[in-house]
Amino acid sequence: MIQWNAELVRRLSCREEEKRQIAPLIRRFMELAQKARGEGFQSLDGVLSETDDPLLSLGLRLVLEGLPEDALEDVLATYLIAENRSGWPFLRACVIIEGLLALAADDDPATVARKLVAYYGAERAAPILEELERDPLQSAPAKEET
Amino acid sequence: MIRALASLGAAEWEFPRASRQKRDALFEVAARIALVAERSRAFEREALAEAAMVESRRPLRIGLELAAGGAGAEAIKAAFAANPAFIHPEPGEALELIVTLVGLKGLLAREHPYALMRRMSARLGPEYFDKTEAWISSRLKRRHYRAEQLVVPGELPDLIRSLALDPRSLERCLRAAGRDLAAAAMAGCPQESLDLAKPVFGRIGGVILEDDAAHLRSRLSGDEIAEAQAAFIEIIRSLDEGGQLRLGEEVDFSADPGFVAMLTRAVLSLDDRVLKAAFRGIDGKLLATAMQGMEPSAHDRILGALAKRDERRLLDAIDDADPLPGTAIQDAGKKLALRLIAAAKAAAAPREALDRLTQVKNWEPVGSVTKNMGRVESGRM
Repeated sequence: MIQWNAELVRRLSCREEEKRQIAPLIRRFMELAQKARGEGFQSLDGVLSETDDPLLSLGLRLVLEGLPEDALEDVLATYLIAENRSGWPFLRACVIIEGLLALAADDDPATVARKLVAYYGAERAAPILEELERDPLQSAPAKEET
Repeated sequence: MIRALASLGAAEWEFPRASRQKRDALFEVAARIALVAERSRAFEREALAEAAMVESRRPLRIGLELAAGGAGAEAIKAAFAANPAFIHPEPGEALELIVTLVGLKGLLAREHPYALMRRMSARLGPEYFDKTEAWISSRLKRRHYRAEQLVVPGELPDLIRSLALDPRSLERCLRAAGRDLAAAAMAGCPQESLDLAKPVFGRIGGVILEDDAAHLRSRLSGDEIAEAQAAFIEIIRSLDEGGQLRLGEEVDFSADPGFVAMLTRAVLSLDDRVLKAAFRGIDGKLLATAMQGMEPSAHDRILGALAKRDERRLLDAIDDADPLPGTAIQDAGKKLALRLIAAAKAAAAPREALDRLTQVKNWEPVGSVTKNMGRVESGRM
């Protein structure tokens, strides 16, 4: 069971328009999951040069390096806490870390999306999931983005 | 992820800020803990007591002494909390306590030293990411051992061979099984299975899998390993039934014995001068692959003909080489024969040696024996 944590809630809180920026992140991780499952994990090596986000870059390197999942989560969570972020930057980092953990677990794109839409919050996640079940790869994130 | 963050206490959200100099020193502490973790996997408490005796940092020395005495991670944490010297620490000291406790916890959980090093250095900040990678790489370079094998009878090695024909299928099975189950199942497989599985997890992850399998081999009973293999096979079956795998026909990962004998004889018939000329500037990967198609006597001959630097390079290439189908090994052997022929001709090597190399160059798989013989004969005319 997840415990109530006031500090976590404070750090996660951000404006609705900021939350909309989760959509492109979800799409990105769905694409990465599809690439990893189709072409193998080492194909993600090419993605490293395309990203300028330090957390995503370090996380992908750890996934490629083959760090076991529990150590991966611990390392990324440590970076997150040490940077003392809050609001949208904190939420964004949480989504990135969750996406990296889903990648490392070899989740399929639909599962990746299900894990990440939770960061929209319970009320917004439910209708997105409904759409996702009808069209697993594209609909939910695409609609959120517009 | 959220579950992990939600379990943090109020104090854990605040991360102590230490100077660069202090963090550099703590990196060395972390490296020492990782090395103790490596030794304690093999030598148990003896390694902890030895490390405690020579440790200069007080928190680590106390922690190692407690661990050597049989204390668990929680007991060590409680002992630190109750120690007057560790109450109200300066930021640098607080960070040292955090790194030490994280290291000791992983050490006592028998976590792999490379993963443990990543955990500890993360506490020092992302600036230590590359330094950690360099440290792990330097440890990898010094690692030249092959653990003893324990082969538990069963179908898993054959299934892994089939899966390896489509690396994505093997990757999917290994990741679906999870690292712990994969290592336990691999503990009862031949080295060939591990060599096929390692590339799935990357350069460092592959070594972690191999080391964990070797570690579990000495800790689990034969029945426990057989159970892990049965669970792993069940995962393969369920993925296969779900249409997620492409199980291929079994492939032979060793070269034809006739080819091996032929290439070995050809190499042994050449003198150092020819070998040195042929190996000058050669692609280490090609030579390493071709050597998979030779007997050990030819390996010794080749290594003896190389300069020390090239010998090291070749050994690294051999260590990095993935298991290849027999056809790929034979192709590499033929390419090597071409180079050797050119060097042998330039050095006016005896006709017999050239004939043997030509025989290798023209070799074809079983079923074409008469064709091979015919070509050899025509080469001699």
